[in-house]
Amino acid sequence: MTAFLPALIFVCFLSVVAGHFIPPLPIMEGARVLLMPVVFFFGALALPFWGMLVLATFCGLLWDAMTLQVITPMIGETAMMKTVEIIPGWSIILYAVLGSVMNGFQPLYLRGRWEIHTLMSGIFTALIVLAEFLLISVRRAAFYEDAAFLFNASIGWRILGAGIVALILAPFVYWALSVLAGLVGYDAAEVLRREEES
Amino acid sequence: MKRANIVALVAVAGIVLALFFLGTGGAQRIQSMALGIISPFLRSGSGLEKKVTAIRQGLKSLAELEREAEQLRVRNKELEAVNTTLRDLESENNRLRRALQYREREIFRLIPAQIIARDASTWWNTVKIDRGSDDGIASEMPVLTETGLVGKVTTVSASSAIVVLISDENCKVAARVEGTREQGIVSGQRDSGAGMPQVGMWVRSKLAKLEPGQKVYSSGVGGVYPSGLLIGTIRDFKVRELDAYATLNPAVELTTLEDVFVVTGKK
Repeated sequence: MTAFLPALIFVCFLSVVAGHFIPPLPIMEGARVLLMPVVFFFGALALPFWGMLVLATFCGLLWDAMTLQVITPMIGETAMMKTVEIIPGWSIILYAVLGSVMNGFQPLYLRGRWEIHTLMSGIFTALIVLAEFLLISVRRAAFYEDAAFLFNASIGWRILGAGIVALILAPFVYWALSVLAGLVGYDAAEVLRREEES
Repeated sequence: MKRANIVALVAVAGIVLALFFLGTGGAQRIQSMALGIISPFLRSGSGLEKKVTAIRQGLKSLAELEREAEQLRVRNKELEAVNTTLRDLESENNRLRRALQYREREIFRLIPAQIIARDASTWWNTVKIDRGSDDGIASEMPVLTETGLVGKVTTVSASSAIVVLISDENCKVAARVEGTREQGIVSGQRDSGAGMPQVGMWVRSKLAKLEPGQKVYSSGVGGVYPSGLLIGTIRDFKVRELDAYATLNPAVELTTLEDVFVVTGKK
């Protein structure tokens, strides 16, 4: 546990770095390959609840810091006071909530079943992108007089596409992280049994 | 519920609450710190990506390199000559403008920068550049290339900065259309697909008569962007119930952009 949680945090960091070099997917209208949520959802399965919360805090804070937009709303051609589009911290809540659901499926994972969890990784990754979209839609409607709520096939594909890619990647990421857990001597079943007893 | 879980929940709630009350300046400081931590990794990744691309494109022979160097030397001389002529014209132009009591044309100080990473998120269009506050970069500075406007700097760390592109809905540029009195606001479109980033211009007057192919320049209103920077050309124009809207082809190829200039001030 002592080594696995920092290792997962580092892998999450590297996955954000790697994400900067992966181009959007043209066949899915520019959907992105989001690696960090998949790594996080594995952490939510393999770690005890408090460990998942630590990981959610790191991932949420890092993602909010990387995507923070400081904007100057304009009314006509008049610039208003600078503000932040989405307040940092909301991603921590989102990751913690989705991570808690994933954490609830731990018994199944400990019995060696991965199918449902990889499916959930895909669905939850799409939910993260959808939540981002809804948040910016609400915020921009408040900022700009010409902004309107838009939803079309291109937007739908970008939300769904991120989930499909996560679903495809999840088994490989889960396998690689299980190997990592073995390398650092982390046995999820053993750690969780000890957590139950304490 | 176990004690460790309760402690973790309380700590996370405390962190989230503290973040919610940070304000714009505090949030930007956190982003700047995160950018400072991640940028060495992005630089290494960018360097590696360039090496891989170079290998993929194949190694050039010595003769090819010599021929290319010779062509570049000739081109450099040509540009120097054009530059000298333009400087003469510029001083003459300013002298005449002074005589007519017009404001003198401004010459900007530019800092070259390289793009080290593109946004990894779905809904925002930003890039990260390899110049920061140590190089004199500050937020709100316009970014351009030799062909037109790229965007503006939003957050700066010591050695890197984030640039929001004109294809982002949050990047608003006051603009005018060449050969007309029409003015409006240019910004990106949220529903841009994976191909060419979509940029549009909201035109105030529904009586505007604009044609495809007309050039759109920054108007200088608002103070962030200097006037006269080419933003793009009109692709499509529609009159709506209360206003009009033009779709633009950006002057700069934003998806393959590698080198930019940051306008740091006037000369």
